[in-house]
Amino acid sequence: MVIVELQDVHKVYPLGKVEVEAVKGVSFSIEKGDFISIAGPSGSGKTTILNMIGCVDRPTQGTVIINGQPTKELSDRALTTLRHDTLGFIFQSFNLIPVLDVRENVEFPLLLGKSRMGKSEKDEWIDYLIEEVGLTQWRDHRSNELSGGQRQRVAIARALVTKPHIVLADEPTANLDSKTGEQILELMKKINREMQTTFIFSTHDAKIVNIADHVVRLQDGLVTENIRKGEDVLVGAGAGGAADGTGEGGRA
Amino acid sequence: MPVLIRIAFRNLLEHRSKTLIIGTLLALGVVILIVGNAFMDTAERGVKEGFTANFTGDVFISGKATNGTVSLFGVQAAGGQETTPTLPYYDRIVEKLSSMPQVEDKASQITGFGMATIANSDDQTFALLFGIEPGEYRRIFDQAKIVDGHFLEPGEEGIVITKGALERVNKQLKQELKVGDRIMLTGMGSMGFKIRSVPIVGLVEYKNGSEASDFITYVDVNTARILQGLTLGNDADTPVSESQKALLAQSSEDEMFGGGEVVETSSTAPSRPAEPVAAAPAAPVAQSVADTGAWQFILVKLKHPSQAPRVVAELNQWFATEGIDAQAGGWKMAAGPFSQSIDVVRIIFNIAIIIVSIVAIIIMTNTLVISVIERTGEIGTMRALGAQRGFVRKMFLVETLTIAVVFGAIGTVLGVGIIGILNLAHIEAGNAFLQILFAGKILHASASIGSIISSLVLVIVVAILAHIYPVSLALKIEPVRAMQTE
Repeated sequence: MVIVELQDVHKVYPLGKVEVEAVKGVSFSIEKGDFISIAGPSGSGKTTILNMIGCVDRPTQGTVIINGQPTKELSDRALTTLRHDTLGFIFQSFNLIPVLDVRENVEFPLLLGKSRMGKSEKDEWIDYLIEEVGLTQWRDHRSNELSGGQRQRVAIARALVTKPHIVLADEPTANLDSKTGEQILELMKKINREMQTTFIFSTHDAKIVNIADHVVRLQDGLVTENIRKGEDVLVGAGAGGAADGTGEGGRA
Repeated sequence: MPVLIRIAFRNLLEHRSKTLIIGTLLALGVVILIVGNAFMDTAERGVKEGFTANFTGDVFISGKATNGTVSLFGVQAAGGQETTPTLPYYDRIVEKLSSMPQVEDKASQITGFGMATIANSDDQTFALLFGIEPGEYRRIFDQAKIVDGHFLEPGEEGIVITKGALERVNKQLKQELKVGDRIMLTGMGSMGFKIRSVPIVGLVEYKNGSEASDFITYVDVNTARILQGLTLGNDADTPVSESQKALLAQSSEDEMFGGGEVVETSSTAPSRPAEPVAAAPAAPVAQSVADTGAWQFILVKLKHPSQAPRVVAELNQWFATEGIDAQAGGWKMAAGPFSQSIDVVRIIFNIAIIIVSIVAIIIMTNTLVISVIERTGEIGTMRALGAQRGFVRKMFLVETLTIAVVFGAIGTVLGVGIIGILNLAHIEAGNAFLQILFAGKILHASASIGSIISSLVLVIVVAILAHIYPVSLALKIEPVRAMQTE
């Protein structure tokens, strides 16, 4: 089941008097439960694509469809609700709320919208997530008292607390040492398996890419490769699926 | 809401320096407001209580001046002092008052200006003459305490002054005057000078009296009328020649005033134009006969002072309907320049508060803008995680209100404390103006609950105004900024 679909997506940024086209017509789709890496060097457009999937940015041209809903026509309020209900975010710089402790940071997204959970269920769920990321004894600590790896674990728990369909992670290991980075990815993979949550993460580290089931490689704003483990290359380097904007190449 | 309050408190603690800058401004604002309003309120309350109890009553009725505003202290016009109009249809107005159930009592008055001196002396001093009928006057205004002699009796000729006034007169005239001694009053009406010798029959003292009340001289109404030229047949007055004046100046006091006669220097106008004087003789009359029907003011005491605005409105309506050229007003109208001085000080104070508020808003806005810029990543993260713009708006509002309430409370405690310290210091008013402000000779200010609440409300409004622009900036922060945080 396709959960995310990009159709001929372009993104142009004004840079002074000139315009920079960061994404030049990208089409691919993501299946529910995918553990997908959007890979590519710096400036290839992976963060821009992640932003558009995360509904924090809009395409200049083309369509992004989340859970069957085109995001282009949605109001700011509807997009915010969609982000809250459907998406979870893990940021490169962790982005924890500095004045809140671990438990409060994890709980925070639940306070932003209507929750179907009762108080006790909510408390159990938060405690479960904190335990899952191995921070039970750190639950009352603030972010400045945690290591980078611990902070990213908090961010993972926070991203999962609303039980989103999709978790987006922008270079989640970029600010971590390699060992901690691996642990974080393993944790994400474990949750992906256990909860069937779709994980979409961007990285420029080739070693990390290998852990993904599905890899979309970008170069200069174009898809150069779209492969799924154990399957044929869906879009090869220079192949038309990405460049011609048909969107067909992304279909598994 | 609890999470917003939690975030607000922790953010305020986290950004202590900014919190202190904004909080200090707010607390200072509250201190200025509470202390300033305590002074203003005390002054206004003191002046109001002092004037309504001692001089004006609750409702003041006067004739209308062609130019300027009428008060118990005469007519203030752009070009200076004008002639105070006599009250037309006095008897009908009195009849109307007696038919009004709200009215408890009334007293009538004439105000004049004169100079006080003694015979064979070149020194003289200013006197504000309140011509009264002692019987009815003391029924309403009984606060003045007799410290020597007695108050004027009905029909008695003489003056009553304050103890302070006698000390001032003695100092200025270089005399040792006391109760029983005579003093010469020179009336300065529009109809020229009129001189009369009257005895000092008593000395009074006011509770919380000020230097201003020391200028007031109570005089029997007939003397006041004569000094002001409110006499029957005064259009037949005889001019006094220079030689006569010289002769008068050389005469002894007893020779001049033994018979209590009036010496007039000039006169041109009748006492009460238009209105016929009841039974005024057509034949030549003595110029010393006062027009007993002439009054300038009626001072009304109400059963409930709070009814004053309604009574004033009813009377003014009645004057208009009946075509009577008179007007009614509250105590402020009667107090004239004295209440105006309080109003002027309050206006100056309010202008100062507005300026301080604008400066505070600018400083607070700048500080909050810096705070928003510093928290761009945090706000972007909240938006990315699903916080609507309304959440961000509420978050800043709660922070603003928290800081305003906490530091407002600190400012209140400081303000009330400062007032307490100032009261304990027994600060004396050095001049008449300060005595008006202090509502007495010693400062005793008090902050009312209403003043404290209004000060807090104003500070909260200032804080809310200051946070509008920074919040508008915060609301413009897109969730994508969360991705750009390093």
